[in-house]
Amino acid sequence: MLTLSTLAFVLIVMAAMINLIIRDWRITAGALAVQYLAAFVLVTLSWPIGMAVVKLIAGWMATAAIAFSWHSSSNQRQHKNSLPISESTASLFFRGVAGLLIVLLIFILSPALQARVFPQVDLMIIQGGLMLMSMALMQLGTNSDPYLMIISLLSFLMGFEVIHAALELSTLLTGLFVVVNLGLALVGVYFMVSPGDEEAQHEP
Amino acid sequence: MSLSTPLLWVALPMVVAAVCVVFHKRRILGIILTTLTAFGLALLAVFFPENLTLSFGPLTFVFEESLMILGRQISLAYNILPFIAFIFAMSGLWVLSSNLPGVPVTFRPISLVVTAFLTAALGVQPFLYAALLIQTAVLVSIPMLDTVKNKGYQGVFRYLSFMTIAMPFILIAGWLLTGVVILPPESPLVGQTAVVLGLGFALLLAVFPFHSWVAMVSQHSHPTVVSFLLFILPTTILIFGLNFFNRYAFLRTSAEIFNIIRIIGTLMIVFGGIWTAVQDHLKRAFGYATLVETGFSLLALGLSAEGGLNWMLMLFPARALGYWLWGYSLARFETHCGSLEISEIQGFGRQFPLLSAGLILAQLSIAGLPLLASFPIKIVLLTQTISVGARLGAWSFIGNLGLFLLTIRVLVKLTMPTAGTFGIDGEPVGRWPTSERRSEYLPVVLLVLALVVIGLFPDVILSGITRILTAFPQLQ
Repeated sequence: MLTLSTLAFVLIVMAAMINLIIRDWRITAGALAVQYLAAFVLVTLSWPIGMAVVKLIAGWMATAAIAFSWHSSSNQRQHKNSLPISESTASLFFRGVAGLLIVLLIFILSPALQARVFPQVDLMIIQGGLMLMSMALMQLGTNSDPYLMIISLLSFLMGFEVIHAALELSTLLTGLFVVVNLGLALVGVYFMVSPGDEEAQHEP
Repeated sequence: MSLSTPLLWVALPMVVAAVCVVFHKRRILGIILTTLTAFGLALLAVFFPENLTLSFGPLTFVFEESLMILGRQISLAYNILPFIAFIFAMSGLWVLSSNLPGVPVTFRPISLVVTAFLTAALGVQPFLYAALLIQTAVLVSIPMLDTVKNKGYQGVFRYLSFMTIAMPFILIAGWLLTGVVILPPESPLVGQTAVVLGLGFALLLAVFPFHSWVAMVSQHSHPTVVSFLLFILPTTILIFGLNFFNRYAFLRTSAEIFNIIRIIGTLMIVFGGIWTAVQDHLKRAFGYATLVETGFSLLALGLSAEGGLNWMLMLFPARALGYWLWGYSLARFETHCGSLEISEIQGFGRQFPLLSAGLILAQLSIAGLPLLASFPIKIVLLTQTISVGARLGAWSFIGNLGLFLLTIRVLVKLTMPTAGTFGIDGEPVGRWPTSERRSEYLPVVLLVLALVVIGLFPDVILSGITRILTAFPQLQ
């Protein structure tokens, strides 16, 4: 189990770094799906698989919803492969360095946080959850595209869910988290649809 | 399945909203259905008997106050019904005005669903899960903000981001609090928990520096929708916050915490007031004015020991009516002027005197002008603040002047004659060419009357809402 959780943690770090640095919609969607898989493994450390798999399925559904919406909306806008952001090498480098600093910071802070606040929670869970949350916040602060912002918010929530799963097991809470995750994805879909579709939906 | 109060005030509005979505092209049907539901549920909450038993002739319906969902329960007790009546009545008022030009068709069903989710948030057990229900209400509210068309989605995303980030803080703080209650007050974990909880509420209430989304959303969305959202969210979140003080003794007995809340409230009033006074866009000014009002609520909360909770609750109805009138007037202004830049409304008051009076009186009522609804409470609140700390009281008073200054600027611009109204001698000529329709100004007249009546008889009208404090026995 230790090997599996270590592998999951490594996957989380890599996927979060990819999401932070790269702006290709296919790669970011894939990285988000991998994040959900790795988060699922970490959640199984605290929850039965039957409950943990709910988070995985909901996460993948959210990923699929926003990725396919982006794909269809980018087809309409003639931007098939990439997000409409022109990237300089400097910005990639900046985000990469920022990501590495976050990784370093999490490794330094996590043991202290475990000792003082979450003594009964596995260190790997704390590190994985904090990594997802911090990278997501960094991603949220470095872009303004609806697609990437929703991915950031989903990643942030995922990180929190990993940690919170170790603190509490509740069916209602799991259901509400699913609603929030899917709701976030739907908001993303809403903002990715063509603005012209909304014209007719106002009062005269 | 037996009948329960959550079925009435949570499930039923959602069902009605679903029906409205199905028949979204039938505008009048939607308005009638949502308005009747909201006002009907408000009336039911007012007249619901304490034994939760309704009798219609031979028929008797016995309600339970709890509904089990996935092993947990939503419980709407008799004590909280005055507040539920209040938020449903206000939702009904907003839905009633949803026929205004430019209001998204999604507003009617979504406003009902948001109200239902926030009602559920007040009753869910454990109460911490309310953070998730509030987040769900936030998610549901996004389509009615409808900024896709005018590309103002940055503010909406900031709103969504702050609310999403707030939720973990509340949940983690709640988990920490369960352990903190057995610790001595001097333990560092107690302070850390209070900070985590405070951060969560600061994000939820758009406390400085997490306030930027308010003005952005306010500028780019319809005034009716924004005024509803900026009324119902902070109001319900504040009531949700009372749960923490009611439940945890170390929070309600800590003088430092209440002192910090008072300082934060004063900061909100001062910064919000300054920003309001200098705005050139009426919708942004409204957004900033709501921050001042959040500041007053926090100030009242910080004065709990002096009876501040009563004032906080009594401010809600006065504020709600003021927001409604303000949003309604702005919506009408936008229809007639196109732009809500202050420079663009020159002479508008001569053409639309009653609508302009509505806007001015809404602002003055919120600001706390004597004879209008907020005055009796704000004067007590400011007086009490000065008696607790003269400096805080003085700053609160100065901050509150911001809205008065904005109103004076708006009034000057509204009454300023336009180029065509000058005679050869340079003096304004003739009668004001008014072009108001009765259907436009009648709601303004009624609301202004209501604001004056509340201002004249505050105890009679506003004191009923303070009954909800019985739901928080430790805070009475």
